[in-house]
Amino acid sequence: MKSGYSGLTPVQLTGLLLGIFGLILPFLLPLGTLSFAGQIGLGIFFMAAIFWMFEPIPIYATSMLVIFLQIILLSSQGPMFMDAKLPTEKPVELQEQTWQIPTRALKDDNTVLVAVEPGKTEAVRVDVIERNGQHVIVRSDELSADKAIVSDTGHRLVNYKPNSYTDYIGTLANPIIILFLGGFMLAEASVKYNLDKNLTRYLLSPFGSKPRFIILGLMLVTAALSAFMSNTATAAMMVTVILPIIAQLEPGDRFKFGLALSIPIAANIGGITTPIGTPPNAIVIAALTEYGKSISFTDWIIVAAPLVIVMLIFSWWLLLALFPPSVDRFNLDLKGKLNLSPKAIGLYVIFGATVLLWVTENMHGIPSSMVAFLPVAALVTGRILGKNDIRNLPWDVLWLMAGGISLGIGMDKTGLAVWMISGFDWGAMGYVTLIIVFGLVAVGMSNFLSNTVTATLLMPLVISLHTSGVMGDNFNLLITGVVIAVACSLAMALPISTPPNAIAMSTGIIRTKDMAKVGVIIGTVGVMLTIIYAIFYWPLVTN
Amino acid sequence: MERSDIYIICIEDEQEVLDAVVRDLEKLEEQFPIETATSAEEAREVIKKLLADGRKIGLIICDHILPGDNGVELLIELHQDEQTHPSRKVLLTGQAGLDDTVRALNQARLHHYIPKPWTRQELMEVAVRLLTDYVIEHEENILPYMSTLDAEKISESIRTRRSISDE
Repeated sequence: MKSGYSGLTPVQLTGLLLGIFGLILPFLLPLGTLSFAGQIGLGIFFMAAIFWMFEPIPIYATSMLVIFLQIILLSSQGPMFMDAKLPTEKPVELQEQTWQIPTRALKDDNTVLVAVEPGKTEAVRVDVIERNGQHVIVRSDELSADKAIVSDTGHRLVNYKPNSYTDYIGTLANPIIILFLGGFMLAEASVKYNLDKNLTRYLLSPFGSKPRFIILGLMLVTAALSAFMSNTATAAMMVTVILPIIAQLEPGDRFKFGLALSIPIAANIGGITTPIGTPPNAIVIAALTEYGKSISFTDWIIVAAPLVIVMLIFSWWLLLALFPPSVDRFNLDLKGKLNLSPKAIGLYVIFGATVLLWVTENMHGIPSSMVAFLPVAALVTGRILGKNDIRNLPWDVLWLMAGGISLGIGMDKTGLAVWMISGFDWGAMGYVTLIIVFGLVAVGMSNFLSNTVTATLLMPLVISLHTSGVMGDNFNLLITGVVIAVACSLAMALPISTPPNAIAMSTGIIRTKDMAKVGVIIGTVGVMLTIIYAIFYWPLVTN
Repeated sequence: MERSDIYIICIEDEQEVLDAVVRDLEKLEEQFPIETATSAEEAREVIKKLLADGRKIGLIICDHILPGDNGVELLIELHQDEQTHPSRKVLLTGQAGLDDTVRALNQARLHHYIPKPWTRQELMEVAVRLLTDYVIEHEENILPYMSTLDAEKISESIRTRRSISDE
C-alpha cells in the first residue's frame, strides 16, 4: 500500500536507512562459514526484505534493484568477479606423504582445500609437522603432486562459481513469467471487450435473487475469474457489481458487511486455483522447476481446486452466519450485452482455446508456458490488442516476480540459503511440524507483506532444506512448496494484506474489525485444511 | 479521513452565497480543503499560493458577476494556464448571458454550468462527479477517494486502467 499522498513517511525513511545498512551489515559481522559471495547475497537479502517491508520504494522497484545488485556484485562479468581466478598451487612433495604448502592454504581447522572443479573444493585433513613463516610442512596421504590446492582459503572464489549475469536478467523470460504474460494479455483483452463483465452476468443469472444464493454466486464467479485474471482487477470489477445491491439495503443493515467482504475473500482464494491465478504461485513453481519438481497446469488444478472449493463454501457459510441476510430478495441488474464484433469473437476463441489447452496439459503434454504464447501472438496478430494495450500490461508484476525468482537463484548459488538453515536442527522438527510451521509463518507474514514477497523470502529456505537433505526421506519438496503458495494467498485479515482487501475497505462499507475477524478465521481454518490436504490428499495426486 | 492536497476553490462576491456554497460542500471538505475568494484578483492569489506550496486545484466553482474581471474571463485564463488546466471548472450563476456562456464553454472548456438557485444535492452531485474524474485522471493512488467520491466509477477505473495490480 502506498502511504499518504506524497513524500516519504518517517517509517519509509527508517526503512530506507535500515535497508542500506542491511546491505553492508554482513561485512561487519563474524559469519563463520559463509563465503564472500554469500555475504554479498545476505546483504542483498537484508536490503530487499527491509525494502519490501517498509516500502521506501515500490515493491517492484526493489525487485529491479535486486537484479541490478546481483548482476553487478555476484555475476561472473561484474567487477567483483570479472577477473577473479581461484589461486591454486601444487603442493611440493618433500618426502613421501610430507608436503610443503603455503601458510594461507591451511585453514584453522587443519584442513586443506583441494580444487575439484570451478566452484567446488574438497576439504582434506592434514597433520601439521612444522610451520616456517610463508610455508607449512604437513603430512597427508590424500594430497598428491598433481592435485592443485587452494593457496588462499579466504579467497572470494572459494566454493563459489559466479553465474553469468544473463541468469539473473533472464528471469524476466523465465517460462513461468511467460505463462503470466499470456494470462495478462488475455485479461487485458477481456477487460477491453468486457468479457469479464459479460461472463459475470451469464454466470450469476442461475443464482436467482435470494440473497444467500446471490452471495454464493458472487463468490464462485469472483473465484473463477480470479483463477485466470488478476485478483485485483476481478475484485474491482465485482465491486461495481455489488455497490448497486448494497444501495438497495437499509443503511444499518449488517448484511452489507458480508456482501462487501465476500468479494476480496473469493478473489484472494480464487487465485490459488491455477498456476497463473496469483504471483506467489509463480515464485513457488519457478523454484520447484529449478529443482526438477515441475508441476503441470493440470496437476496444479488437481491439487488446488478441491481446497479452493471447500474454502469458498466455508467462507460463504461463515459470512452468512456472521451477517445474515435481512431481505428476501434482491434485484441484480447487470447491464450490458455480449460484444459480437469480429475482434471480440476472435478473443473468445483465443481465450477458450488457451484455457482448454492449459487445463488439459496432462493429456497433450505441451508445456503451459508454450501455450501461453498462443494468446501473446494471436491477440496482437489479430489486432485484438494494440500498442497501447501492450503498454498497459502490469509489467510491474512481471518484474516483481522476476526479482523474486532472481533473489532465489542468488541465495542458492552463493550458498546463502544453505548457510541460513544451518544453525537449526530441522531434522528434529519432523516433516509434519515443518509444514505446519511454514504454513503459519507464511500466512502470518503475508498478512503484513505482499504475498509474492512472502513466497520469495520463504522458498529459498524450503529449497535448501531439500538440497541439504537435513529433513530426511519424508520431506516432500513439491508439497511443502504448494503449502507456502496456498498459505500466502490465505492471508486476508487486514486492509493491507492484499490489494482486493484494500479495494473492499476503501469503499467505506466494511469496518476493519469485521475484516480482521473474518480474515483470521479464514486464515486459521485455511492453513489447517491445507495441512490436512498436504498429508492425506496431495501425496495421492503428486509424485 | 486523510486530508488530500487537492483543493476546491469557490469564487463568489456575495458573502451569504459563498457561505451557502461552502456549507453545501462541507461533506467533501474533510478530504478536499476548500479555499474561498470574493474576486478574480483574490482568486488568482489564492491559487498561486496553493500551487507554490505544491497543492493541486481539483475543482473551481465560480460565479459570473465579480468585481473586476468576470467569472468567464477568470475561467478562460485558468484554463489556459498549464497548472490549472486540469482543474474541473464550474460556472455557478444566474446572470451570465448566452454570449458569455458560449465563450465559457468554448474557451474555458467549462465542465458544468449550474444556474442559480441550485439545490445542495445538485451541487454535491456535480462536485463528486467532477472530482471523481479529476482524481481518476490525475492521481496515482485513487483508493483513498473511493468512500467520498463515486466508488463505482473508481472501481471501474481500477479494472480498466490497472492502476493497482496484484502483489
